[in-house]
Amino acid sequence: MPKPHQVQVIKDRETQLREQQEAESKRRTYRDVKEETRKKHKKAHFEASPTPEESTSDKISLPRKRYYRQRAHSNPFSDHRLEYPRSPDDMNWEKLFPGFYDEETKQMTSSVEIADVGCGYGGLLTKLAPEFPNSLILGMEIRVQVTQYVEDRIIALRNKHEDEDVNFQNIAVLRGNAMKFLPNFFRKGQLSKMFFCFPDPHFKQRKHKARIITNTLLSEYAYVLKEGGVVYTITDVEDLHNWMVKHLEEHPLFERLSKEWEEQDTCVSIMFNSTEEGQKVTRNKGSKWIACYRRLPNPEECV
Amino acid sequence: MKHPFQIVLVNKAGTHLFASVKNHLQVFRLSDGKVVGSWIDTVDMFTPLKKQQEEKIKVLQEQNKQTEESENNEIKNESAEPAEKKSKGNDSKPIKIPKIPVPGPGAPPIYNYIRSLALSEDEKHLMGTTDSDKAAIIFKVDLSSEGNCLTLIKRQVFQKRPCAVSSDQETLIVADKFGDVYSIGIDNEAPVDEKELSPILGHVSMLSDVLVATYNDKKFILTGDRDEHIRVSNYPKSYVIKNWLFGHHEFVSNLHIPEFDSSLLVSGGGDDYLCLWKWYDNQLLSKIELRDLLLPFLEEFHLPPERFLTDESQKEISIAKILTFVSKKSQKKYIVVLAENTKCLLTFELKADNTVTHKQTLTTDFPIIDICLISENSSIIAAVDRETSDSLLEFYTLGDEDVFEVQSHTDIIQTITSANECDVEKRREFYPLYYINTLRKRSEH
Ligand SMILES: C[S@@+](CC[C@H](N)C(=O)[O-])C[C@H]1O[C@@H](n2cnc3c(N)ncnc32)[C@H](O)[C@@H]1O
Repeated sequence: MPKPHQVQVIKDRETQLREQQEAESKRRTYRDVKEETRKKHKKAHFEASPTPEESTSDKISLPRKRYYRQRAHSNPFSDHRLEYPRSPDDMNWEKLFPGFYDEETKQMTSSVEIADVGCGYGGLLTKLAPEFPNSLILGMEIRVQVTQYVEDRIIALRNKHEDEDVNFQNIAVLRGNAMKFLPNFFRKGQLSKMFFCFPDPHFKQRKHKARIITNTLLSEYAYVLKEGGVVYTITDVEDLHNWMVKHLEEHPLFERLSKEWEEQDTCVSIMFNSTEEGQKVTRNKGSKWIACYRRLPNPEECV
Repeated sequence: MKHPFQIVLVNKAGTHLFASVKNHLQVFRLSDGKVVGSWIDTVDMFTPLKKQQEEKIKVLQEQNKQTEESENNEIKNESAEPAEKKSKGNDSKPIKIPKIPVPGPGAPPIYNYIRSLALSEDEKHLMGTTDSDKAAIIFKVDLSSEGNCLTLIKRQVFQKRPCAVSSDQETLIVADKFGDVYSIGIDNEAPVDEKELSPILGHVSMLSDVLVATYNDKKFILTGDRDEHIRVSNYPKSYVIKNWLFGHHEFVSNLHIPEFDSSLLVSGGGDDYLCLWKWYDNQLLSKIELRDLLLPFLEEFHLPPERFLTDESQKEISIAKILTFVSKKSQKKYIVVLAENTKCLLTFELKADNTVTHKQTLTTDFPIIDICLISENSSIIAAVDRETSDSLLEFYTLGDEDVFEVQSHTDIIQTITSANECDVEKRREFYPLYYINTLRKRSEH
């Protein structure tokens, strides 16, 4: 069918460029202001650093997404110098979860148990927070500005709900490549749930190794998951769903959870529509495929 | 002059030397230097390119078939397409044969050479990898043979370039540039189509070394990568990861388990130190500092490439080889270290309480390319970077007080060097001898 005729207003290149620059500089100024606030509050530093400043009680507004836009894809293989701890022992979790740090014993009172891998704009974190008030929940995101957005969002939420029961002290985000450095953050068997919500599909055959679920990466996820822990996956791309199911099925350390289990599980219903990507799919009336897998015990002879 | 030897390897008894130069592999009897085995890789860099071309043609033929079919359908559907397109009918179109791709001027050159070599535990097989066609090669070794002691029994091509090999009796373990590890049978069965192979474990980082290790009769695979990770996986159930060994800040290039104590691991790479581990217990015993000892031997070459150079740039250390031995005379244990492109070897004594002290800095006249060790008499054979036709090896023998002494002009060295078949006119024709430091991750500033 021939396309309907389109009338396009073509701006001259200079105007276009100028407008782009103005928009970017506006976004940058916005982010700079937010960065000041962020610095005052907390910053995830991995090696020891001075104690965090006292928090201010000024009202902090929720960040606006449009100022943090970033190119959709980041190459998980590239070795841009990311900041990450040398090992789980070197991780200063108190910077991310100051509410769970005991000043007296100098110890964390809890450790991260739930991870949202490729958390995007952080919708899932904010919905999981009230559901698991005593568990620490961490979002991992590779894109800088998207991570900053989530940081600012959490700062604002903590500020706004400071005196309430649900005070968002149990959620945090950090920038990192989950495909490369997961074992630098988490110990063996530390996690009870891992979420993979609407992962990048990487359609091209050649790019399949860039997918966040592969046979070999599943072994790393199995390592950080405790026995009985659950991998949650949801996607609107059927081909990717089949791919994830195929690899999880093939992996000897995972077992599929039934439809009945999915129906009674709170996280499945939260995951279904709380992430930004998931909401976009709903608006576009797309389908969503879910698959959840339980971490099986290691074979007896393995250590 | 001759092209220097690039890899040297010796059997446990110390009777035979395996050496590679470019695409040549030779086996020398060490009693008299006689060549008892040889092999030349005839798969050149055009072989894989030709294969690529054949595959492209196949794809084109397939596409051609499909478009024809859909065009035929269109005819039935009375499309409004211009008439000349329809008229093609059923006769098949000639396919444009794509040219064999020629790498552009900026493309990194592919060298036709042997990248790694290892002997199987029982020394009945020699295994290696080639860069030209990204293959693992397996030879049967028969040192009692009157003729050529090497017989190529298998050549398994991989999708990504293999970087390191290890083995476990009947199985060859291959680690590749894409971070994946494969296992293939050491046998003379036909190789498998590389697309059918699936990895037994993987990192999302280039792998630099792999070892099969044993602890209390249980087997494990140790892998080192271009980030700073060393992973210990169960084997053969390699999908169960035992743990990571955290201690390096830069890339890992060398993993070594001493024959005298298989619970230990010495690892090295782009750091100023080696790590000594109890690998099974996930315990870092000590870091062996190298910088002060190596500093007098670091040159211009060891600075970062021009575009990463800053006022603070230090000369960089990259570990080329780690070996260990027990002195027959004193029963003391030693670690030998070679840093890339240096005119020295460092030895360290490893005490019973697992502390490590510097023993000797052996200074040499020429940069050392590779070393191997004869445990029988604790002597070292080194391939040296020289422009010569008669002394491309040096022998270092262990003298009194467990100190190495250089022997550089023996008849055997001359015999072996003159049997090296790769003649070159000048140094410029050498294949790259030093590339370990290219594993270092850089960020532009
Ligand atoms: C399509 S988005 C989905 C985001 C979010 N889960 C949601 O449902 O709204 C996928 C996200 O994964 C992130 N990502 C991709 N690879 C990653 C990696 N290796 N480590 C961490 N994040 C990654 C991307 O930057 C992107 O934000």
